[in-house]
Amino acid sequence: MATDLLNILPQLIVLVTAVTVLCLEMARRPLAGLWCLVIGMAAATGVAVDMLGTETTAFSTTFRVDALSLWAAAILSPATILFALLARAELKDQAREGTIYSLMIFATLGAMILAGSGDVMFLVLGILIGTLAGMAMAAYPRNDPSSEGATKYFIYGSVAGAIMLFGLTYWVGLTGTTLISALISPDLSPVIVMFGFITLLAGIGYTASLFPFHFWIPDTFEGAPVSVAAYLSVVPKIGALFVLAQVVREIPVSVVDWPLILAVLAVLSMTFGNVVALWQDNVIRLLAYSTIAQSGYFLLGVIGMGQSGLAIDSLVVFGVAYALMNTGAFAITLAEGTRLDDFKGVGRRRPWQAVGMTIFLLSLVGMPPLAGFVGKFLLFGSAIESGYTWLAVIAILNSAISLAVYMRIVVPMFFQEAEEEQTKLYAPGTSFVWISTFILTIVAGIGVQWFLGGG
Amino acid sequence: MDFSSIPLLTITTFLPVVGALVVMVLRPKKTETAYAIGIATTALTLLSAILIWIRGFGPGLSLIEEFSWIPSIGIAYRLGIDGISFPLVLLTALLFLTALIFSAKIKEKANIFIQLVLMLETASLGVFLSLDLFLFYVFFEITLVGMYFVIAKWGHEHRKKAALTFFIYTLVGSLFLLLAFLALYLFSDPNTFDMRELIANPQITGLAATLTFWGLFIAFAIKTPLFPFHTWLPLAHTEAPAAGSAILAGVLLKLGTYGFIRFPLQMTPDAFREFAPYVIVIAVFTALYGAFVALAQTDIKRMVAYTSVNHMGYLVFGIAIAAVTTTTSGMIALDGAVLQMISHGVVTGVLFLLVGALQDRTGTREMSEMSGLLKVYPILGWLFIVAAFASLGLPGLAHFPAEFQIFLGGFDVYPVAVGIIIIGLPLTTALYLRAIQKVFLGTLPKEFSGVSDLNRRELWAIVPLIAGTVIIGIYPNSLLSLIHATTNFFGL
Repeated sequence: MATDLLNILPQLIVLVTAVTVLCLEMARRPLAGLWCLVIGMAAATGVAVDMLGTETTAFSTTFRVDALSLWAAAILSPATILFALLARAELKDQAREGTIYSLMIFATLGAMILAGSGDVMFLVLGILIGTLAGMAMAAYPRNDPSSEGATKYFIYGSVAGAIMLFGLTYWVGLTGTTLISALISPDLSPVIVMFGFITLLAGIGYTASLFPFHFWIPDTFEGAPVSVAAYLSVVPKIGALFVLAQVVREIPVSVVDWPLILAVLAVLSMTFGNVVALWQDNVIRLLAYSTIAQSGYFLLGVIGMGQSGLAIDSLVVFGVAYALMNTGAFAITLAEGTRLDDFKGVGRRRPWQAVGMTIFLLSLVGMPPLAGFVGKFLLFGSAIESGYTWLAVIAILNSAISLAVYMRIVVPMFFQEAEEEQTKLYAPGTSFVWISTFILTIVAGIGVQWFLGGG
Repeated sequence: MDFSSIPLLTITTFLPVVGALVVMVLRPKKTETAYAIGIATTALTLLSAILIWIRGFGPGLSLIEEFSWIPSIGIAYRLGIDGISFPLVLLTALLFLTALIFSAKIKEKANIFIQLVLMLETASLGVFLSLDLFLFYVFFEITLVGMYFVIAKWGHEHRKKAALTFFIYTLVGSLFLLLAFLALYLFSDPNTFDMRELIANPQITGLAATLTFWGLFIAFAIKTPLFPFHTWLPLAHTEAPAAGSAILAGVLLKLGTYGFIRFPLQMTPDAFREFAPYVIVIAVFTALYGAFVALAQTDIKRMVAYTSVNHMGYLVFGIAIAAVTTTTSGMIALDGAVLQMISHGVVTGVLFLLVGALQDRTGTREMSEMSGLLKVYPILGWLFIVAAFASLGLPGLAHFPAEFQIFLGGFDVYPVAVGIIIIGLPLTTALYLRAIQKVFLGTLPKEFSGVSDLNRRELWAIVPLIAGTVIIGIYPNSLLSLIHATTNFFGL
C-alpha cells in the first residue's frame, strides 16, 4: 500500500492541491489559491520528472505508472500553472475567480488518472472528473454563449458517456474483469470486442475532440473564457489520447483492426478540422477547429502502439509540443482579441508578440526546427513504420491545408493595418505565458532528445 | 592554432545568422549601417567559402563536422562537403552578397529585410552542407519561411497571393520529402539519418524504393520546378523584389536540383534508373514548355522566369542521363548538370537584377512599353545583352560548356531526346533577341526623360556576376575539375 501511494505521488499531490485550493476559495482567498496551485503543480511536475523511467503499476495493476502516465503528469501539471496564470489575467478580481483554479486542478487530476488507467473504473472516473470540472469552467461567465456552450458540452458528454458505460458494462460483464489488460480473452467473439471498443471510443473521442464526437468544441470554446478554452483544448485531450494508447496496446490487431478504425477517424478529424477552420472569422473558433485536426495527428502515434518503436516517443513529444504551441497561441489571442480583425497591425504594434504568434502557428503547421515539427516527424515515422503510409500522406496534405488556415492569422498581423488605434494591455501573467511557451517551443524543438527514450 | 581544427563549414553556415543577430541587437537607426553590417557579413561568408577551397577537400564527402544531437533515433549534426556541394556553396555566398548590395536601396523595414535575407543564406548553405536527413530538412523548410516573408513584404503588386501560393505549394513538396526521408530511415539497417551511410550503402529496395523515389521526385520536382509542378514559379519570381528573384532563381531552385543528385541518384539509384525514361520525358517537355511559354511573354521578368523553367529542364535531363548509364557519358552529363546549376545561378541572378534595375527606371516590366533604351542606359543595356547571350547558350559564356556537356552525354544514350530538347536553344535565342530588340533597340520615345544609368551600387552587384559568367564560359575547368573529381568518385 505504501509503495502504491508512492507510485502515484504526482497524482496525490495534485489531489491535495485541489482540495487545498478549494478550501482557500471557500475562505475567498483567490490569490492564495493561485499561489497554492503554482506550488502544488510545480511539486507534482518535479516528482513526475524525477520518476520518469519508472515502469510499474499501483493498486493491483489497476493504475499504470509508465512513460505515458508520468509524461502526462509532467506535461499537464506545468501546463495547468500556465492556464491558471491566463485565467488570473482574464478573470482577475471577479467574484468567483478562485473556483476556476480548483476546477482546473480537479480536471487535470482527471486527465492524469486517465493517462495511467489500467482499469476501466479509472478510465470512467478520469473522464467524469474531467468532464464535470470542465463543464463548470465553461459555464463560468454565466451569459448566453457560455451557458449554450456548457450545455452542449454537458449533453454531448452525457450521451457519449452513457454509450461508453453501456458498452463497457456489457464487455466487463462478459469477461468478468475490469482490468483493461484482461478485456481480451480468446473465447470472446470479435464482435463483442468490436462493440466494446467502439463504445469506448465514443467516450474517449468526445473527450479528445475527435470527429465525429467533436460537435461541442467550437461553441463551448467560444462561450467559455479564453483561458478556459485554452485549458480545454489541451488538458483533457492529452489525457484522453494517452488512455486510448493504453487501451489499444492491449488489443491484438488480429481481433479488432483498431488501427484501421483509428486511421479513418484520424483522416476525418484532420480533414474536417482543417477545412472548416478555413472559413472561421473568429480566432477562438478557428483554433477550436484546428484542435480537432491536431487530435487527428495524435492518432498517428496511437496507431503505432505495439507496432512502432516510435509510438510512445511520438505521443510524448507531440504532447509536449502541442501543449506549448497551443497555449501560446491562446495566450496571445487572449491579449489581442478574438476576431481576426483584432490581429491587424500587430506586427507594427507589437513586433515580438507577432513573431511569437507566428512561431506558435508555424509550429502547429509543423515547421522545423520548432517543437511541433519534431512531434509530427515522429508521428509520421510511427505511422509509416506501422504500415500506414497512406495515412501519413493524408496527414501531410492536411498540414498544407493547415498552413492556409494559420496564415489567415499571420497575414493580418504583418500585412494589414489596424483600423483604429488600439492599446491592448498584456497582463503580467499573459506575458509570462506567451514568452515562456515561445522560448520552449523553440528549445523543445532543438533539444528533443530530452523527451525521448520513453520506450 | 591548428588551421585544420577550425570547423570551417559550421562557421560558413552560421556566419550570416550571426550577422542577423548583430542587426537585431544593435537595431541600427540608419539603413546604411544595417546594410553595412549585412554586406560585411555576406562578404565574410564568401571569404569563408573561399577558405574552404584553399584548405581543399577530397572527392568524397569530406571535412566532416559531427556532433551528437538526438542520439535516440540516430540524428546528429553532420556537415560535409564534396565537389558537388562546394560550387553551390560558393554560388550561394556570391549571390547573397550581390543581392544584398543590390537591395541597399530598400528603405522600408530594412533591418528586418536584412535579417531575413541573412537567415535565408544560412538555411541555403545548410541545405548544401548537411549530411543528415533531419538537419537537411530543417534547413530546407526554413528557406520557405524566409522567402515567404521576403516576397509578401517587399514584393510587387500581387505579392501576397504570390507569397502564399509559393509557401503552400512548396510546403506540399517538402512534406513529401519528409515522408521519403522517414522511409529512408526506417528501411536502413541499423536505422540512421546519416546521409553518408545511406549513400554508401543504399538498402531500400522493391516497392518501398519505388515509392521513396517518387516521393523524392515530387518534392524536388516542385522545388526545381518541373512541368507540371512549375505553376508557382512565374508568380513568385515576378512578384518578388529583384534581389528576392535573384536568390529564388539562383539559389533556391538549386535546392531541388541538388536534391535530385544527392537523394534519388545516390540513395535510390536502382529506382531512378528504372524510372529514368519517365523523368527524361518530363525533363524534355519541361525544357520545351519553358521555352515556348517564355516566348509568349510580354512581361520581361516573367520571360526570364520561364527561361529558368527551360534551363531546369536541361539540368534534370542531365541528371537523368547519369541515372541511366554508368559509362563516361553519364558522368559527362552529370558534370554538365552540376555546372549548369552554377551557370544558371550566376546568369539568371544577374538577369533578374538587371530587370529589377530596368523596372526601377521605367516603372514597368512590359516590353511593349519600352524601346530604344540602349541610348539612355548603355551600360545597363550592354550588360543585359551579355547576360542574355549567356542565357541563350553563346559559346564563351557560362551556359555553353554546361549545356554542351549535358547534350553530349545524353546523345550517347538518348539521341532522339537530345534532338528534341535541343529545339529549346533556337527558341531561347529567338526570345532573347526579340527582347533585346524591343527594349534596347529601336527609337526612344520622345517624351522619355531618363534617369541615370546604373549607379555604383548596382554595378558592384552586377559586375561580379557578369565576371563569373565570363570566367565560367572561358575557363569552365576551374569548377569542372572539382565537380569531375566527385562524379568520378561516385563511380556511378
